[in-house]
Amino acid sequence: MLPFIKTHPLQKIAQELREDLLDMVHKNGGHIGGSLSSIEIMIAVYFSNLFNLKKDHFILSAGHLAPALYTVLSKAKYFPKSLLDSYSTFNSPLQGHISTEVPGVEYSSGSLGQGLSFACGLALGDKKKKAICLTSDGEHQEGQIWEAVMFANKYKLGNLINIVDFNGYQIDGSVQDIMPLDNLATKYIQFGWTVTTVDGHNLHQLISTLKNAQKSNYPNCIIAKTIIGKGISFMENNFHYHDIKILPENLYLKAKSEL
Amino acid sequence: MIINSIRQSFGETLVKLAKTNKNIYVVNADLKSSLFLEKFAKKFPHRFIECGVAEANAAGVAAGLAKTGKTVFLTSFACFSPSINWNTIKQSICYNNSNVKIIGSHAGLLSTDLGATHQMLEDISLMRSLPNMEVFSPLDALETAKIIKAITFSKKPAYVRLVRPSTPNLFNPKFDFTIGKSHLLKSGKDITIIGHGPILEEAFQVQAKLNLDKKNKKISLEIINCSSIKPLDTTTILKSVKKTDHLICLEDHQQQGGLGEAVAALILSNNLSCKFIHLAVDNKFGRSAKIYQELYDYYGIGVNNLLSAVKKILLK
Repeated sequence: MLPFIKTHPLQKIAQELREDLLDMVHKNGGHIGGSLSSIEIMIAVYFSNLFNLKKDHFILSAGHLAPALYTVLSKAKYFPKSLLDSYSTFNSPLQGHISTEVPGVEYSSGSLGQGLSFACGLALGDKKKKAICLTSDGEHQEGQIWEAVMFANKYKLGNLINIVDFNGYQIDGSVQDIMPLDNLATKYIQFGWTVTTVDGHNLHQLISTLKNAQKSNYPNCIIAKTIIGKGISFMENNFHYHDIKILPENLYLKAKSEL
Repeated sequence: MIINSIRQSFGETLVKLAKTNKNIYVVNADLKSSLFLEKFAKKFPHRFIECGVAEANAAGVAAGLAKTGKTVFLTSFACFSPSINWNTIKQSICYNNSNVKIIGSHAGLLSTDLGATHQMLEDISLMRSLPNMEVFSPLDALETAKIIKAITFSKKPAYVRLVRPSTPNLFNPKFDFTIGKSHLLKSGKDITIIGHGPILEEAFQVQAKLNLDKKNKKISLEIINCSSIKPLDTTTILKSVKKTDHLICLEDHQQQGGLGEAVAALILSNNLSCKFIHLAVDNKFGRSAKIYQELYDYYGIGVNNLLSAVKKILLK
């Protein structure tokens, strides 16, 4: 019999932020699928006390996961929660893709495959600090990712952590159909990285893996297996929810009740 | 005429500056020797970051490194950087306003034997169009040193275009380079010749030819070195054009997106008009040759082409 594992105390934040996310994209649309899959990852980075994000670096390479990061930053009091209502509207700093206009954001992105290189630069220039990068699985089809993976190995960037939100889907379908990554962990290992695969919705696993990654002499890759649209039944494993224009009232209410 | 290497001037200047400025870093894409960076790499091994043949990553690493307080020189050939990595320059360097100085060597048809893939004729166009980016094209070795020094003090992204061969010294040592300022290399009254890079030497050759020509010896050219392509020295350019009413823009670059288009737009938007000829490569790829003059003649930017343009523009 499996031992009973208590739900992590930070899990309730995930619950709360999923509701914030839903409210945010309900009217203005946005990248809901990946935001729902990556929320625990960002919570582990921001609320576990493992990092001091006034000094350590968090780089969101997959800039379309902006809605998730906005809810996290608002929860972490970088800006008032009321700002979330303005998401992707004119005059709002909350751009459709992540931007340094938003307090607490260190890197503007949206074009995939670049953030890991930027994080390598930070890790190299700031050896005493951690550089944590969040990439998506589909993003690994970009060649620049692999240039950065080689670079991090050459310069033995032990203070670099790349967390991959591995939800298995991208804008047009499954990663497996569009361009399979096959065994991503093996690829990273062969490139000289330390690799751990975790359940990306399990905060115990995420936090303990991040803790271990801090002591490494080699760059760290954490492959977080997640579910696109996590928490809302009709969005789960459905690539049509990579990005939505608007969520009709009936579906919004259904999603709300499920959360 | 004394000739010097623009590339060597860059490499040596950087070593000099890096001795006192410990924040100067180089992020290189396997072209250390071509950019005269061996000395820098030897003297400052921890500040010389080698990325290999991976210009996109190099641009991203440079951007991140710059955000830790460094002044980063991203070094490669202009045909690779900026071009393979244009989107990384746009997002990671310009949109994020990172203090990265992109050094693109071997630009233009002066990479004579290398052919179309290596003769970068679109770099000014690619860099001019990016917000936050400043664009410079030094006239000679001396101005290269001055530009490198000036951009090291600025915190903005910049692109500097270098060429491969040694070129004539034309810059007046008494001048100082200032970002956004052009230099009048020769004052004149009939035609303004504006350009960037070593090709401007042709204007002096043409003036010498005119001086020897009985019929045309009174034609006097005003020669402007527009090494600061962005920001542009609007005052100097407009003042000269108002005076001469005739303008020839000369550049070893595509017409499309080059300095000529920037200057033409400046003149029109100031409700001025003048006779205008843009001598530049017109929508063509480069090719190999033994000597660069063969290419300059073929693409219509050689000394004789300039001389013809000077005569033609006065009849316009």
